[in-house]
Amino acid sequence: MTATVTAPRRRAVISKRAVLPWVFLAPGLLLALVFKFLPMGKGIWLSFFKVRPFLGDQWVGLDNYTRVLTDHRFQDAIGHTLLLGFGQSVGAIVVGFLLALLLEGQARSLKIMRTAVFLPVVTATAVVGEMWRLLYYPTSDGLINHGLSFLGLGPVQYLDNPGTALWATMVMSIWMIAPYNMVIILAGLAGVDRTLYEAAAMDGVSLWQRLRYVTLPAIRPALGIVLTLAAIRGLRVFTEVYVLTGGGPAGSTEVWMTRAYTLGFTRNDIGGASAASVVLLSVTLLLTVTVNYFRKRGDVR
Amino acid sequence: MGDRRRRRRLAAVATVTGLMCATAACGSGSDRAGAGDPNTLEVWTRSNPDSAATYDRVFAAFTKKTGIKVDYQPVVNFDQQLQSRASTKDLPDVMINDTALMGSYQSQGLLKPIDPASIAGGDQITAKSWSSTVGLDGRHYGIPYSRQAMTLMIRKDWLKKLGLQAPTTWQDMLTVAEAFAAKDPDGDGKADTYGMVVPGSAQNGYAAWWGASYLWQGGAKIIEPDGSGGYRPVMDSPAAVKTVTWMKDNLFCGAKNVVQPGALTAITANATNFQDGNAGMYLTGPYNITTFDATPGKNTYEVVPAPAGPAGSDVLADGENVYFGAKTGKTKQEQALAAFLVSPEGQRIAMTSVDGHQPVVRIPVNATLDAAEVRHDARWSVVQKAYEDSSQQFPNAPDFAPVKQDTADSLNAILTYCGSDVGSSLKELNDTLAGDLKDQDLLK
Repeated sequence: MTATVTAPRRRAVISKRAVLPWVFLAPGLLLALVFKFLPMGKGIWLSFFKVRPFLGDQWVGLDNYTRVLTDHRFQDAIGHTLLLGFGQSVGAIVVGFLLALLLEGQARSLKIMRTAVFLPVVTATAVVGEMWRLLYYPTSDGLINHGLSFLGLGPVQYLDNPGTALWATMVMSIWMIAPYNMVIILAGLAGVDRTLYEAAAMDGVSLWQRLRYVTLPAIRPALGIVLTLAAIRGLRVFTEVYVLTGGGPAGSTEVWMTRAYTLGFTRNDIGGASAASVVLLSVTLLLTVTVNYFRKRGDVR
Repeated sequence: MGDRRRRRRLAAVATVTGLMCATAACGSGSDRAGAGDPNTLEVWTRSNPDSAATYDRVFAAFTKKTGIKVDYQPVVNFDQQLQSRASTKDLPDVMINDTALMGSYQSQGLLKPIDPASIAGGDQITAKSWSSTVGLDGRHYGIPYSRQAMTLMIRKDWLKKLGLQAPTTWQDMLTVAEAFAAKDPDGDGKADTYGMVVPGSAQNGYAAWWGASYLWQGGAKIIEPDGSGGYRPVMDSPAAVKTVTWMKDNLFCGAKNVVQPGALTAITANATNFQDGNAGMYLTGPYNITTFDATPGKNTYEVVPAPAGPAGSDVLADGENVYFGAKTGKTKQEQALAAFLVSPEGQRIAMTSVDGHQPVVRIPVNATLDAAEVRHDARWSVVQKAYEDSSQQFPNAPDFAPVKQDTADSLNAILTYCGSDVGSSLKELNDTLAGDLKDQDLLK
């Protein structure tokens, strides 16, 4: 509603030309306001309270934050979140890059392949999680263990072993995110000047040198976008873990958001869950700004 | 030119206005149809579409009888939705949900206290059932609606093939489980069968829900009243240590395939090995009977009392209560609905399955009804007997949710690491539980 009120008032002062863009932006802004910024503000507000809607919220200051930051299970979750966030981001960029190199081109077969490879991105995470639970099934009925049995190996308990569960989750995440990165990198590759490859070939460079000195510098902007996206979503990982392992076994895959979810919805501690979410938001914001800073600095250079 | 631009501008404004109106309509809650109507009750149950179909029949009969309309909302992620409704300070009028959540809701001020005498026919509910809805302040906060106790579902065709009897003690159960795992009871020549199904994930507290029966049978408790209005944690008792050690050594770290693979990350939704026909036993609630009658098939399995541990054969009892939302101003209508729900007629409709839909009342709380008789199914008398004679509920006067979650986290961790020191892990759990109780001012 704010947008409707401000628009006419401004019209009187500022020229119509200045108003028009805002009118066009209004629907998007309004949606963002109602569904993003207001809830976000409410979340930050609630993080300072012991939330009890029917008994009256109690102001507790920074109590929720100290509680969350000193809780040993949240501290364990930090390590898992960083490992998972970093691992899946790097893995997805590497795999996405390799996929892009393999599937670049105009042939019809490549188009079909690209579509097939992209499918995990448009599939609901919950569905992907259930599918991977079947793939990881810890007997020879599971597809992966079935494959291993031909080599005389396994069956491996991927998800029920606290030593492997986090890595198994990471592999699934990479499978899910890599095709998205592939598309961005493909767009970057399309802009690489072909003559550079020809020149490189004339100079007789190796494949590695061609990648290092021609391809990578040319797709730097694409990699920048991919890195920024990774920074934004790397740490907020939730659905993958929730569907695949539920944080177990023995808390070995518990990440920051699954912990916050348990706090909010199993233990009805909305204040604590809000505080945990605000902490994550701040860290993500910081990380994104840092990545962007280095990206811009690199661009100038 | 200018004319066209003006028209375009007009169109843009119209679009924006339209969008805003649409958003405003969504925000102001067209989903609250009938909220102001005193003759319409908004009722929530934690149900999937299958059991919602049964509730639909129940509420239709109620409306026909009393003229009070019901705006029925089956909600799967009940507690998440309830939290968001609570934040708008506008609760559903009547809620039907788990018994164990009563203390949690009451501590948040979400419930109206209930006088059992104000519910017509409330005297047909047993004292044992009524006693399970008493809150910390001594007042009732729920009306018993459906009860259940865990029983052991076991493949009788497998027992017969291996020449075994249904187990009556833990030791027997272990022997049977090992035989089911090792002696190829399905006769396909492959080692693809498992002794029993365990939903052992800590998610939503499943490990505690499943493990509770074993704790009771081993003579352990999670928390207990201290006699002066408070509670104390007792998970470091010798009985608890002994029981959890037994579970770890025999079920998870003993012979191969005693429990199904993946048990440590399994919740009930993906622990489907009994249906799939590759696990032989499942200690679980009777709501599964409808499912299991379809697969693996009614004549392949039987329902028997849980095998006894060193301290008896008590199992976890739970069920659903009817709760009245705080500050709804429709007390009379709510009481009428509750009276119908616990009446013989209301309970009967909810206990029968039409078109294969899941019944929503398992063991009737109305003492004039008999589960086996209403359903024409003798197996239900096993469940009813387990509930009446040898069952214990989670203490639900305190907010049990954190206690259950912490217990589940700890059990899941102990059962994961075969080398873990059960005694010190449970000591640690006990300290955590003490913290949970202290948060509620219950630890004296």
